[in-house]
Amino acid sequence: MKLLNKSLLNNTSKGIDNDFEEAPQLSRRKFLIGAAKSSLIMAFAPLAMSLTASASQIISDRAFSPSVWFEIKNTGEITVHVARCEMGQHVGTALAQIVAEELGANWDDIRVEHASSDPKWGFVMTGGSWSVFQMYKPLSQAGAAGRLTLIDAGAKILGVSAHSCDVKDSKVISGNKSITFSEIINKGKFDRTFTPEEMAKLSIKSPDKRHTIGFDRLALDVPPKTNGKAVYGIDVELKGMVYARPVIPPTRYGSKVLGVDDSKAKNIKGYLGYEILKDQSNWIEGWVSVIADTYQSAIKAADVLKISYQAGSSANINEQDIIDEGIKLVNQKESGVLFVNDGDVDKAFKVAASSMSATYITHTAMHFQMEPLNATAEFKDGIWHVHCGNQSHSLTQPAVAKALGVKVEEVMIHQYYLGGGFGRRAYGDYAIPAALTAKQIGKPVKFIFTRVDDSKFDQARSASVQKVSGALNKNNELIGYQHYVSAGWPTLAMAPGFMPKALDGKGNFDPFSTSGSDHWYSIANNRVRTINNQVAQKAFNPGWLRSVGPGWISFGAESFIDEVANEINIDPIDLRLSLLDGKGKNKGHHPQSVNGAKRLKTVLEHCRKTANWGGKLSKNEGIGIATSFGQEREMPTWIACAAHVKVDPRSGEVKVKKITMTLDCGTVVHPDSARAQIEGSILWGVSLALFEGTEIKNSNYAATNFHNYTPLRMNDMPEMEINFIDSKEFPVGLGEPGVIAVAPAIANAIFNASGVRLRELPMKAEHVREQKAKA
Amino acid sequence: MIEFNLNGKVVRSNAFDDTPLLWVIRDEFGLKGTKFGCGIAMCGACTVHIDNDAVRSCSLPLAMANGKEVKTIEGFENKHPLQKAWVKEQVPQCGYCQSGQIMQAATLLDKNTNPSDDEISAHMSANICRCMAYPRIKKAIKEAAKQSTLGVNIFDPSISKDA
Repeated sequence: MKLLNKSLLNNTSKGIDNDFEEAPQLSRRKFLIGAAKSSLIMAFAPLAMSLTASASQIISDRAFSPSVWFEIKNTGEITVHVARCEMGQHVGTALAQIVAEELGANWDDIRVEHASSDPKWGFVMTGGSWSVFQMYKPLSQAGAAGRLTLIDAGAKILGVSAHSCDVKDSKVISGNKSITFSEIINKGKFDRTFTPEEMAKLSIKSPDKRHTIGFDRLALDVPPKTNGKAVYGIDVELKGMVYARPVIPPTRYGSKVLGVDDSKAKNIKGYLGYEILKDQSNWIEGWVSVIADTYQSAIKAADVLKISYQAGSSANINEQDIIDEGIKLVNQKESGVLFVNDGDVDKAFKVAASSMSATYITHTAMHFQMEPLNATAEFKDGIWHVHCGNQSHSLTQPAVAKALGVKVEEVMIHQYYLGGGFGRRAYGDYAIPAALTAKQIGKPVKFIFTRVDDSKFDQARSASVQKVSGALNKNNELIGYQHYVSAGWPTLAMAPGFMPKALDGKGNFDPFSTSGSDHWYSIANNRVRTINNQVAQKAFNPGWLRSVGPGWISFGAESFIDEVANEINIDPIDLRLSLLDGKGKNKGHHPQSVNGAKRLKTVLEHCRKTANWGGKLSKNEGIGIATSFGQEREMPTWIACAAHVKVDPRSGEVKVKKITMTLDCGTVVHPDSARAQIEGSILWGVSLALFEGTEIKNSNYAATNFHNYTPLRMNDMPEMEINFIDSKEFPVGLGEPGVIAVAPAIANAIFNASGVRLRELPMKAEHVREQKAKA
Repeated sequence: MIEFNLNGKVVRSNAFDDTPLLWVIRDEFGLKGTKFGCGIAMCGACTVHIDNDAVRSCSLPLAMANGKEVKTIEGFENKHPLQKAWVKEQVPQCGYCQSGQIMQAATLLDKNTNPSDDEISAHMSANICRCMAYPRIKKAIKEAAKQSTLGVNIFDPSISKDA
């Protein structure tokens, strides 16, 4: 979930620091290397900092505010500090690999530390499949600067010239002489500053010399996750804390507590009372916090509390109301704002020999991350300490401060392992009721949502409606293309500063509910409009769900292109290949999208060969194909996906037998965890396509727990074949992209297997039966 | 007062009889490896062993543990072949469900030293992994089965008794 479009950055409104793109921020910093106590410390520091003090002085005074740094102890242990959270991607391992590569470190010496909130880190968000893409360059340069410094010091001690030296296994080596990093640190003196210009000129290893990047390392976070030792937010205990559980009000917005009767709760041993939470930011309204000396007592007491409410004004919205509004919106010519506008679309449709259009619907989908929301809060020494796993200190810290009515710097967020993020822990609003409870009762509080509470307070992926239209000339060439996308917008609700201005200047839009429509097919006349569904926006708080906009938008786009192929009787892969010419704006640019659409073409051709496309299949089986370029057009991971399905002609049941995926994400830093991300995200794609989804009922989510929200389990797992294109290009993202192409590939496969075209997610057996009955 | 054996030690709890065993294990005895997921025995994150059976501790009243032997992930002391296989196959992503997965898988291997793919799927589909690390869970179970010395011992006269 992330967009790196430069125009976006320029358009961010006040309130959000433009520094959220890490690389340019670091390019304005100098790099300091100096000794402090028994460690050698290497850190980026602001340029404006002391011009007179030496690097060593600044470091030993701890006067600096480093945003990327690592240290080597005189024992040889190397600690890389990362401002990214660990939620299953093994990101600490990949980022440390980048440093270790340039530094010439022995992997066994490497440790990773995850940072707590501090302004020094700049804008911190773990999301958007963004971490490696953003940190690759600065971490490579930091490692290279460290290497140079260690070589200079080591050469001096060895009595050789620095030019004769290289680094390997945490040693500086010259011919048959060598010295360990730890010896160098014990003997050497360090005081060195690299200017941003010097940093930029440092030579980074050529790919053929790499010993760490591109090689598998055991992920550093795995062992503690096999023996119960990994500490998640829910495992935090503070001295003197009590437990609390929320009672969630009837509507997401505007609820008000009229009265609370806790007479029954008073019979529960351990019940300590309740608080009607006073949120100065009004993010949560009408919340009651139930406090007890054990969590079980808090659960029980909350269950028997009688609360009367005045519900918010939009208490009766249902899924169909949202869908109806979406259908209305995508059929209004001028609705929403303009996102893509190439050529003259109106003219193309006017002169077209034929045209076609289709409407696609996706239903509300939820996070259901395994660790229910929780936070533990305490006021100590003038600071509000909030302990919880979260994806973004930068969004969570100000939200908590605003709710408490204190300054941002009076809130400190402490990081832990996340029991799943998937976008739900990006805007950490679950910390608000924890902090407010702690404030109102004057005690440390461990605030845990039950699974049902968590579901009620989810930030679901909004239901969506999209309409795609194509104009064909008499030679059946696609001369015009129009895509209208509409949904509830998470970014409007939670980070409006990230909403860029539209192409037509008529307002701002949510990039995370729009991207994916800006495809790489060369079609001369091409228009996208993006539209906020305000009925959804009123009913609930739309959220970022792994793969965000592209996750549902590509379902429309990549289903439609197959529908066109079928209409004009062309192989859908051939049609796609004919549109992927890599010309004009689809040429891509250096470094992240170099060669543009041609790389998409390559993965598609590869997938065609590996997926038995055109081969013989059993009865009622079909293979469908789809492509994607997530997570953003500006950070494309090139993917082609083939789904092999079987459709039971009577029951309509769809079984996914195999998913074959080819992807090009540039340089792969940590191949095994890259593969793990793709395995998981393919299964996410299958799950969202067939097994998940709920509906809005009276402005609440119908699903409340795993009995009525049913993600894919092991017995539904298809076979998977995953192929990475060997590439030395700039690394892009992997956390989300694998999800995107799966649903349209399955829809296309269902069509090829049964002749039934499904235009609704999730795709259910009853939909197949209905369509069959109509046919 | 409820008394039971927790990872080899006798413990006593004064919590309500109907308190789910999960909270007693976590909050009273401080063993945080067992996780809270759903509270209705649907996800398996809270799986522990009671007298060697996999049980959802979120839905088991404390009273039912009276006199029983309860084992949690900590009770494996990092020595179970599944734990080694979990590291070798790099199974966990977010990791939150993995204690439960390992406890669930252990009862499969206890009864079936060489489970087939379908047997693994049938047994493990009781547990949800939201990161969907299922292919690796499956692989790791097979790996552990291969390495495991548990289960059927085949008499081989060529090997001396003490070997």
